[in-house]
Amino acid sequence: MDRTTFDIVVVGGGAAGLRAAIAAAEVDPSLSIAVASKVYPMRSHTVSAEGGTAAVLRDYDSFDLHAFDTIKGSDYLADQDAVEFFVQKCPEEIIQLEHWGCPWSRDPDGRVSQRAFGGMSVKRTVFAADKVGFHILHTLFQTTMKYENLHRLDEWFVTSLILDGAAVGGVVAMDLRRGELGRITSKAVILATGGCGRVYEFTTNGFIKTGDGMALAYRAGVPLKDMEFVQFHPTALPGTGILITEAARGEGGYLINKDGERFLKRYIPEKMELGPRDILSRSIMTEIKEGRAFKGPYGDYVGLDLRHLGEETINKKLPMVRELAEKYVGIDPVRELVPVRPGQHYIMGGVHTNVRGETILAGLYAVGEAACVSINGANRLGSNSLSECLVFGAAAGRAAAAYVRKKGWPDGAAGREALKREEARIFDGLLARERGTPTLAELRTEVQQLMERHVGIRRSEAGLEGVSARLLRLREAIGRVGLADKDPVYNTELTAVLELDFMLEVATAIAFSALARRESRGAHSRTDFPKRDDEKYLQHTLAYRTDGAPRIEYLPVTITRWQPAARVY
Amino acid sequence: MPPRPYPWKRRRGWWLRNPHYLLFQAREVGGILTAIVGLILLYQVIQLQAGPDAYSAFLTIAFSPPMLGLMTVLLAFVLVHAVTWFMLLGKAQPIQLTAKPMSWRKVFAINLILWALVSIGVLYLIFGGP
Amino acid sequence: MAAKQVVFRVQRYRPDKRPRPYYQDYRIRYTDDMVVLDGLNVIKDAVDPTLTFRWSCRMGICGSCGANINGKPRLTCGTFIKDVVGPQVIVDPMPNFPILKDLVVDFDDFLDKLEETRPYLVRSKPKPLSDGEYRQTPAEVEAYRQYSMCINCMLCYAACPVYGASGHFLGPAALALAYRYIRDSRDRGGEERLARLSTKSGIWECTFVGECSVVCPKAVDPAGAIQNLKVLASMRTMRKLLMPKAVSR
Repeated sequence: MDRTTFDIVVVGGGAAGLRAAIAAAEVDPSLSIAVASKVYPMRSHTVSAEGGTAAVLRDYDSFDLHAFDTIKGSDYLADQDAVEFFVQKCPEEIIQLEHWGCPWSRDPDGRVSQRAFGGMSVKRTVFAADKVGFHILHTLFQTTMKYENLHRLDEWFVTSLILDGAAVGGVVAMDLRRGELGRITSKAVILATGGCGRVYEFTTNGFIKTGDGMALAYRAGVPLKDMEFVQFHPTALPGTGILITEAARGEGGYLINKDGERFLKRYIPEKMELGPRDILSRSIMTEIKEGRAFKGPYGDYVGLDLRHLGEETINKKLPMVRELAEKYVGIDPVRELVPVRPGQHYIMGGVHTNVRGETILAGLYAVGEAACVSINGANRLGSNSLSECLVFGAAAGRAAAAYVRKKGWPDGAAGREALKREEARIFDGLLARERGTPTLAELRTEVQQLMERHVGIRRSEAGLEGVSARLLRLREAIGRVGLADKDPVYNTELTAVLELDFMLEVATAIAFSALARRESRGAHSRTDFPKRDDEKYLQHTLAYRTDGAPRIEYLPVTITRWQPAARVY
Repeated sequence: MPPRPYPWKRRRGWWLRNPHYLLFQAREVGGILTAIVGLILLYQVIQLQAGPDAYSAFLTIAFSPPMLGLMTVLLAFVLVHAVTWFMLLGKAQPIQLTAKPMSWRKVFAINLILWALVSIGVLYLIFGGP
Repeated sequence: MAAKQVVFRVQRYRPDKRPRPYYQDYRIRYTDDMVVLDGLNVIKDAVDPTLTFRWSCRMGICGSCGANINGKPRLTCGTFIKDVVGPQVIVDPMPNFPILKDLVVDFDDFLDKLEETRPYLVRSKPKPLSDGEYRQTPAEVEAYRQYSMCINCMLCYAACPVYGASGHFLGPAALALAYRYIRDSRDRGGEERLARLSTKSGIWECTFVGECSVVCPKAVDPAGAIQNLKVLASMRTMRKLLMPKAVSR
């Protein structure tokens, strides 16, 4: 890639990033848009999403209902103006994807099908068998090939933002292929790097989900919002953490404990298996704690019962569930229970933005799981995330395009300075250090185990205090991690250390935000503060980076038409 | 230091390392050899037309041990070529009589049966028929 | 689960150290539920951090982790060690591609070729979004669904001896994806796509070895797609010869 100056750089090539890039490219063919991703875009973690993407498409549904489901699901922490905007834009995104070729599953009359999903009052989840993320991502990726002004920087690892005065001026990135750092000058940067599940030990997330964009923004002075709200998906395969989609329950699957009981009737009898994820995950953990779960080599688990759905339905609607269960746990869901337990899956928190994806830093945008608008509040409903990527990806792409049309080019000096700094930090510093103690793997494992134990489904003051202090010390310890691989070309040991560096920033924000929130709401559950406290905490947590503990501030939630009520299903 | 991708080089005898590749090579070579068998048969017909002397001279050579050996090898390749051809037919299915393409095994089986029937018919004509 | 031992013989390529690829042996412990990727990660984390390979989802959907395992192109995340213990497990980078480092290969050639096949819905006048979706029955979706399952893992290119011999061959995945769009009832670009595909570097370079379909982890059957394209292209040519003035779809 010869040119390194673009109007807009999108960091991350998943659904949100590609949607933003396409939206910007469509605004004006004379704008140049680059998608810089540390992996080829079709490897982005969007690809593993299975269940579906929500939108109001039918007469039995309404924007108000989708908005209410989302707001209630968020335990009233979602910004209602953002949710209202979101639900209105979802349908056109579904149709746009369909026009671009996305193979949505269909009703016999040829219309796009919708299925039931957790927390949704009606069937509004559009799906593509059980591989919705795969199809959305490949449709978007193949569609990007239509645009001449859309360029790809594949396997470019962004290491830092360039700040040009009070605005963003591009990014510094390592071209993994050549082993060189380069600066990509741009008028606007859209962060679409996804979540940070790999800070946890047991996660559905792929290896690449290390919170890179969140850390980049955090280091540039942008606050991370609502980081304590981490979603644990009720049904992950024990051991590997591979996701078994909510659609299995959407199609009618049951959750059974070791006594053969559909135990959710004791927790959420109205919704049962289609309750929201935070309630289900906590219920399963309670069953495990109280000894009613099955015992296994990878921890206790409950059973997902799909037997009554029949082989035909499973093969047609849940083929990948069957493949994954057979392959990775040797179970045929047609005849046996699938072992599942809750695993980290998504983070509601992220870079603080408004509905246009704008952050407090001029020219810097964030979209997708990396961002927090917030429409998911304290708990996300399944199938809202992909819709979020599409809606806000498009919105931010258009907003960024409008912004850059009026903006001048950044000063080159800031970029050159930033590049020099990064070269010193990475080549003279990190690459030159010898591998010693702790090793990269040891440090990473310690972080993951700390987060798993103390910042998981159930949290307490003592645990959070301990982990917060420990993480601050570990953030120093990474300065001692060295490399055995001294060749800068395609150095995955180097990128792993850079990723761990980002992970430590993000983990610190999560732990301290959780410590500060002394209530239980949505996915954040405190054993010492088990009730929701709207008086003190109907606010978003903002974590600002310092060299010590993050500075925590609060931002009121925007309420429009739905007054917070008790969240009962 | 600049990257130095290592160009991929194909090793000699690549087709011996995988039974599928070996079958493929046999099939392709079998095409040429089938053509040669065709030419031999053509030559046989020409000799037949040239008269009983020419034809018996041909038969003498044809039934000599080296020629028998050669024909066995050639016919083996013809067989491989024919069978693999029928296996491939199921994959392309240019003429579809059913709504969805049939599984290639069904097409393969049907064609083998038809081939067998035609062969039996021909044998009957040669040895039994009018 | 009892732990057993295995030797991973991995091909390294470290141009900063040695000009040519070489093998390195690693002895590790494994259990029956470990896949080859888990073995590689054990090596990278605890034995040799310089070992370089791609991976991400570990569930066979992202397509990152293709490699040759005991001579066959497979996904390392989908191959259980117990199934390939020989007693060694020999891991090479996917053949037919230039090697960047260790098991990482350069497959940009595929992405360039994919672009040439115009892998998106082509319509002269797209419907406005307000008109809703293009209607497509479940049977019409089924017509191309299988070919849309390609995860771009490149195992088919690694398995194709024609791609290995001829640099200009478009290759199995690119052709299967082109076929996916041609079979999509919403697409109107069949004519222009076939013009590109029905060339010496396109479908006619394929000699139907069929190995691509054997190794495909998603049962896309690119070999079948290519042969069907040959039929389509031939019929298109016949139609043009016999009915030159007819307008095709």
